[in-house]
Amino acid sequence: MYLARIDGTVVAAAKHASIEACRLLVARRLEADGSLAAEPNVVADWLGAAKGSTVIVSTDGDIPRAKFGNTTPVRLTVVGIVDDVQSPAGKERV
Amino acid sequence: MRLGIVRGHVVLNPAIDSYRGRTLAVVEPVTMENLRANNGKGGGKALIAVDELGAADGQMVAFTEGREAANPFWPDSVPVDAYCALIVDSIDVRP
Repeated sequence: MYLARIDGTVVAAAKHASIEACRLLVARRLEADGSLAAEPNVVADWLGAAKGSTVIVSTDGDIPRAKFGNTTPVRLTVVGIVDDVQSPAGKERV
Repeated sequence: MRLGIVRGHVVLNPAIDSYRGRTLAVVEPVTMENLRANNGKGGGKALIAVDELGAADGQMVAFTEGREAANPFWPDSVPVDAYCALIVDSIDVRP
């Protein structure tokens, strides 16, 4: 699991059948110093994360498999929307 | 999933049986900088991904990596570790 910032939304022209009704977002992993990873990730979300919000992304394939079935290729899912990170850099980071 | 641009397709001869009839796309991952610029460039290290959606050269796809890439072939055991899960129509990213 890691912290990520939601940067956008993806509209698909074609999708794997298992994720036909799934909301897909562009997320960027947050590093320890608060910087953002260079490469974006596409994550599945059903919690309703807004653009600009910080979330926890899980890389566990069991979560999407339970939701979308055994044949789903999804791996990255939003498992929580971050309210606050308690650390010396806390507020600045989130 | 990462985002990537299809740069070509690979034809295998011979190949292992479980790859028969599969489409293999050469995908160049896209960095956030290039995604924002919408310049058609990738910037990442190219890799091969199985594609069942029929993505054409130049189209952007999102591909899954790791064990989950083989899930679409469940319950068969297929040695796939990158799989195109969707073809991108448009992406709305913050300015």
